[in-house]
Amino acid sequence: MTGLERRPLLKPGCRLSPAGDVLLIPEGVLRLQGPATRIVQSCDGSKTVAEIVATLLDQFPAADQARVSEETSAFLTKLAGRGAIEFV
Amino acid sequence: MKAAPQALIAEITHRCPLHCVYCSNPIQMQGAAHELTTGQWTGIIRQSAQLGCWHLHLTGGEPLLRRDAEDLVRAGRESGLYVNLITSGLGLTSARLAALVAAGLDHIQLSFQDSQETPANTFAGTRAHSQKLRVAEWIRNHRIAFTVNLVIHRQNIDRLEELIGFAEQLNADKLEIANVQYYGWALRNQAALLPSREQFRASLPVIEAARERLSGKMRIDYVLPDYYAKYPKACMGGWGRGLLLIDPAGRAMPCHSAGVIPGLEFPNAATESLRTIWEDSPVFERFRGEQWMQEPCRSCERKTIDFGGCRCQAMLLAGDAAATDPVCSLSPKRSVVDGLAQPIPPQQNETPRWVYRIDPVA
Repeated sequence: MTGLERRPLLKPGCRLSPAGDVLLIPEGVLRLQGPATRIVQSCDGSKTVAEIVATLLDQFPAADQARVSEETSAFLTKLAGRGAIEFV
Repeated sequence: MKAAPQALIAEITHRCPLHCVYCSNPIQMQGAAHELTTGQWTGIIRQSAQLGCWHLHLTGGEPLLRRDAEDLVRAGRESGLYVNLITSGLGLTSARLAALVAAGLDHIQLSFQDSQETPANTFAGTRAHSQKLRVAEWIRNHRIAFTVNLVIHRQNIDRLEELIGFAEQLNADKLEIANVQYYGWALRNQAALLPSREQFRASLPVIEAARERLSGKMRIDYVLPDYYAKYPKACMGGWGRGLLLIDPAGRAMPCHSAGVIPGLEFPNAATESLRTIWEDSPVFERFRGEQWMQEPCRSCERKTIDFGGCRCQAMLLAGDAAATDPVCSLSPKRSVVDGLAQPIPPQQNETPRWVYRIDPVA
């Protein structure tokens, strides 16, 4: 399975703040900018990384596909490294 | 304007059914008669969210000895805070845990004293271990974050691998494995608790191997014994920088043991606003920034990394709360720490004479 086919899921005890600008995790907070909030909202275990990228490209048609894909993957890897998501 | 605190540490009671030999609570505790009311606590929790806190840590003592723990969890969640409960698991039932989760609990930290029942109950001074095992099972029936806290020391650090395997079997998301820090009751038992330098050194590759083996499954935080460190810890992330602690009687403190520093008058959160306390009180100003620092801290490039270390440890070991933390290798008082360090690992006939933590008088 390539990275794009994995399905990210927020881990127990990790959630968006009520205003959606911060991801709350046991160890602290991760401040979210730009499309990061939308990406986190998509981490429900049902969507693949590729599907999340496709949705972002629908919302930002002018964006470069390779770059969005790369940056989304990098962001998700960072979240996994902080223990905020797992891939199911 | 001052940077807001990240977290409110609410020590809602000092009462506890455990008597741990390394308890970090102060020797002088607040009795039940001095504890704040539910209404006072919910007011403080709401103010902390308005002040800019993100996390609420409900701790003690044993926070579940207060029957209103659910109400305080709810107040935190409704204020927009991330709610963490730090507990021994005593006083918990399956139904009460469900009620706490329904009230908005995000994260639970469950303490264990050992992986084996007999030493665990010895260190806790009570039969607590089997109840904790039940609680760990109940926790995994809920979708909340689960951290196991284990304190290690001279008597069990040699079984580190077994302790890590134990936390793994409990299905924890995270293991916080902490060497004892010497304040409060732990300082009284320091000779029986401090591992030898060799014992400590042997623990490092064990942690490293476990982190690699459990990567992506269970995170491991390892808190070092700072008597063996080259540089001090950034205690509380720096005085008055990120953490605001309220004790059971409402006293606002930059850390839980700040009471050992003479001359500090702690403002009370039941009568003053949290914002005034955080931004303007002399206690929180006392060791903020760098103005208070002495040499070698003042001209040290690490002063923005460790903030001079721990003020309470400087008081306890160097006799001056504004001195460089004496665990620092650059401290002129480092010899005091070296004098306390244990030269040899525990011997077979070593039988510690424990001083057990007692409950506060009402």
